[in-house]
Amino acid sequence: MTLSLFDQFMSPTLLGVPLIGLALALPWVLFFQPGARWMNNRLVTLQAVFMNWFVKQIFQPMSLGGHKWAALLMSLMLFLITLNMLGLLPYTFTPTTQLSLNMAFAVPLWLATVIIGMRNQPTHALGHLLPEGTPTALIPVLIVIETISLFIRPLALGVRLTANLTAGHLLIQLIATAAFVLFPMMPSVAILTSILLFLLTLLEIAVAMIQAYVFVLLLSLYLQENV
Amino acid sequence: MLSVGQLKTHHSFSVEFVISRCFAGFSRETSLRLCRRARRGRNKKQGARRSNNSASQPSVMLSRLIVVSVNSLKGCGPIGAGLVHASRSLHTSPQSLAPLPPLPEKGGKVRHGIFPEELFQLLYPKTGVTGPYMLGTGLILYMLSKEIYVINHETFAAASIGTAIIYGVKKFGPTVANLADKINEEKVAKAQEVKDVAISSLTQAIDDEKKEQWRVEGRSMLFDAKRNNVAMLLETNYRERLHMVTNEVKRRLDYQIALQNLHHRLEQEHMINWVEKNVISSITPQQEKESIAKCITDLKVLAKATQARAAA
Repeated sequence: MTLSLFDQFMSPTLLGVPLIGLALALPWVLFFQPGARWMNNRLVTLQAVFMNWFVKQIFQPMSLGGHKWAALLMSLMLFLITLNMLGLLPYTFTPTTQLSLNMAFAVPLWLATVIIGMRNQPTHALGHLLPEGTPTALIPVLIVIETISLFIRPLALGVRLTANLTAGHLLIQLIATAAFVLFPMMPSVAILTSILLFLLTLLEIAVAMIQAYVFVLLLSLYLQENV
Repeated sequence: MLSVGQLKTHHSFSVEFVISRCFAGFSRETSLRLCRRARRGRNKKQGARRSNNSASQPSVMLSRLIVVSVNSLKGCGPIGAGLVHASRSLHTSPQSLAPLPPLPEKGGKVRHGIFPEELFQLLYPKTGVTGPYMLGTGLILYMLSKEIYVINHETFAAASIGTAIIYGVKKFGPTVANLADKINEEKVAKAQEVKDVAISSLTQAIDDEKKEQWRVEGRSMLFDAKRNNVAMLLETNYRERLHMVTNEVKRRLDYQIALQNLHHRLEQEHMINWVEKNVISSITPQQEKESIAKCITDLKVLAKATQARAAA
């Protein structure tokens, strides 16, 4: 099949049937299910270890009211990390490259934290708009700036994830294309490009995991401010 | 589906049970419903059997009964083989599948990380050891030559990600497996320790109880010994006092005797002194001269006798 550079970012369809639902539901099948046993196999144990560690990391500094979000943020983390890592395989479609998906995650969750903050402790939540120790003359300017930064948060969350993954995937495609095209003409340069591609792949693996972690971490920070 | 109650029962941060219960419950029911819809055609043949089943248990809530034939389930997606026992009513009886059969120690054997060993065993009788490899090579060359698979830039990307994955698995695989095994071993060891401590403390309690029972048997001996002790003390005390009394009485009697002796001696001496005084005062001088002359004549006689004896 001939691929253009746009193919990996297009929502997959088969004979006109959109497969995006399948693409989003696939990671669920890959998660290890603990059976009705006290001691499970290695995979389940490792998954349990990872989940325990992650939840502790995220929720240790959080006050008790925020712990209700544990399952949500944990499942979000797993989902994002699986989607990102699966997208590194060849011929796969990464749903997280679509801005729609990432904004659909970022906006409702951010809005939820803001509304929780405004409902339960409005003064404290509004107090975040003014950092401590600002000189009195700067207060009006700073409040405006902080409000803008508050409203830009969901945009930043969504676009950060989208941009990182899209850029990474695009780079991989471009450099792979370069190596592929150079291969018959100048093999030595192609080998250098392949080495670059390999290093980029390692970077992309790291970026995939880090971006998912950062998304969830930032959401937990916003929750910490407001809960 | 998510129960916060389950979240609270765990005293540590083990949320995986909540999430896995969420996944587990969802998957079983959804997959069963999907299977039922997918195999409705095949099940029409067994419709009679199904109605018979439901008719034979009229007291069971039909909406909760999921009776699907085993064959139709086996091919149901990636989750089919484990759902053979779906033909029991859901949560309407206290039946359970315990004790569960033991899990196999290791997973299925694979060669080169992805190809199951069964494939090689399947092809061995007809094509020998190199059979599957020839099959693989043939397939790859066929797909390349017929341009079913076209080499493009994704191939290079696939090669690099493949290298990364294989390197990662080869390098860190055993470490991670050992880590998982260690965690499981620790879990088992903790439970085992609880069991062992319980057993040893109970054994210790049994031994202590037996010792106490043995002690109770010797209780009468203890009481006898104590009684003997007390009797001996009383006896000793009595004898001491008896001794003391005897001594005191003897002392008083001795005193009286000494006193009498003293009196007797004094009287004697006094009498002797008086007699001597009287006798000495009664000796006249005449008597004294006579006695002296008698003594001299006696002495002369004696001297003569002695001389005569000496001369004889």
